[in-house]
Amino acid sequence: MNTMQSALIKKDLRGITANKQLLVAMISVPIVLTVVVPSIFIMLIHFMPNDFSDFDAMLRMLPIDIQLDNMNTAIISLLLNNIMPVFFIIIPIMAASIMAASSFVGEKEKRTLETLLYCPLSLKQIFRAKILSSFIMSELVSILSFTIMTLVTQIEIFLTTGSLLLPNISWLVVLLLLSPAVSLIAITLIVRGSARAQTMEESQQRSALLVLPVIFLVAGQFMGIILINIWILLGLGALLALIAWILMNGSFQKISYESMLR
Amino acid sequence: MKAIVAERLTKIYSGEKKALDNASFELSQGEVFGFLGPNGAGKTTAVKLLNGMISPSEGSCHVFGIDPSSSPEKVHAISGVVTEHAQMYGNLTGQENLVFYGTLFGIPKEESLKRALALLERLDLTVAKDKKLTTYSTGMRQRLSLARAMIHTPKILFLDEPTSGLDPESAQSVNNMIKELASDKGTTVFLCTHQLRYAQEVCSSYGLIDDGTLLAVGSLDALRCRIFSGLKVHIKSNRFPEGISFRKTEGQWAEINVQTEDEIPPIVKRIVDAGGNVYEVMANRLSLEEIYFSLIEKRKEQKEVR
Repeated sequence: MNTMQSALIKKDLRGITANKQLLVAMISVPIVLTVVVPSIFIMLIHFMPNDFSDFDAMLRMLPIDIQLDNMNTAIISLLLNNIMPVFFIIIPIMAASIMAASSFVGEKEKRTLETLLYCPLSLKQIFRAKILSSFIMSELVSILSFTIMTLVTQIEIFLTTGSLLLPNISWLVVLLLLSPAVSLIAITLIVRGSARAQTMEESQQRSALLVLPVIFLVAGQFMGIILINIWILLGLGALLALIAWILMNGSFQKISYESMLR
Repeated sequence: MKAIVAERLTKIYSGEKKALDNASFELSQGEVFGFLGPNGAGKTTAVKLLNGMISPSEGSCHVFGIDPSSSPEKVHAISGVVTEHAQMYGNLTGQENLVFYGTLFGIPKEESLKRALALLERLDLTVAKDKKLTTYSTGMRQRLSLARAMIHTPKILFLDEPTSGLDPESAQSVNNMIKELASDKGTTVFLCTHQLRYAQEVCSSYGLIDDGTLLAVGSLDALRCRIFSGLKVHIKSNRFPEGISFRKTEGQWAEINVQTEDEIPPIVKRIVDAGGNVYEVMANRLSLEEIYFSLIEKRKEQKEVR
């Protein structure tokens, strides 16, 4: 990464933080998903402890090693360690899509892409810098969301149950492997579509179309995978990272100035 | 080393007609080359080919010995490009834009800032340097684009209609700057425009293009030689003697072609000797505009013959 590329990355990151509309969209959804949703849940459990028959039935279906003695703690643990990670697949996809659409198609739409292409960076270097800036942004949003979520939920858990319930090991795999891999896939798909899309909205809609099945397929089954085994989760992460790498290299082969300026 | 060498350069966009057809030309360093023709003639295509944005369908080109289709980034490092489609960032100020493009060309931030301030002053944009680009007028944007193209002191400038949208005063200052760059710093300028009068003020050599075909290349004198190298003399008189091939134009004006200035006094003398009063005499060589239209006319005739 040379100084020219880092100048480009800084400019892209600044571009997104200066655009309040995009920034609000990128931050508000993760906050709602990772702070408001679990908070409501924790409060519900605390204030309505009477009818647990449905939860009870669900908890009995879980593997024995994660069935905890205390019903409240068991439900919160299920929420924190099995349901919440799903959101950390959705958040990077969303953040990466917004950022990549703005950084690739937005430049095309505002006619700044051509100026950028006249600089002495090769097309691959420009692409790498742009993919990296989208990736950095999506990771920042994910890590920030995780930090805020952990802080808020731990305080809430402590206040309602009197003890802490720290995130388990599967979070490490989700945050360090799965979520980066999924965000790279989303960025690459946007980049591939950027040659054809003429406006940022068009590109975001395209990415939503591509990403929706991913959410249904991955998110729907994800909870179960976390329950089964950490190694399977690790395997899935590695597989997604491999797909991201293949897709990214594939898109490097295809790009040309001519296709970008069309 | 030649600044630009283009050999039988041809570009056909996916199955359509030829945007550039067999164009061959050369540019020496420090030359201000006017690439002239109407909209859609192939000027922008030539700029894109010379910068490696598109690859030639046939033929080849080199910029300071570098082939732009194989190493575009090497050409970009020594060239500055101003085109209608190459805009800058609206959310950044004029100064921030220039500093960003400076760093993008590998210039350290402090040096970029120094150069940016100098260019902003030179292009009369110092007052607006801290304003966001969205507040700039078309003319200001155009001048800032020029500053952007010059931030890395390129060896060659590609300017595609640089004075479109500029008021006469700004256009004049841009012209002066282009001339200065060429004469003082030896910067080669490849200037595309459809404003022929403007080109005649700035350029040292020309390439005239129409419909993708290069009609003629050379200095103004060389181009004149292809049509008519002499002078066109306009005389206002109340009487024109017979025996001289005057063409009556309007009112008391008549026109006659001569090869050299020496032929003018005898003509005036004959009018006076014949009892005529001479009120005005104007002698002009063919302008670029006249040469261009003659060449287009010739081409049409050739096409019709075929």
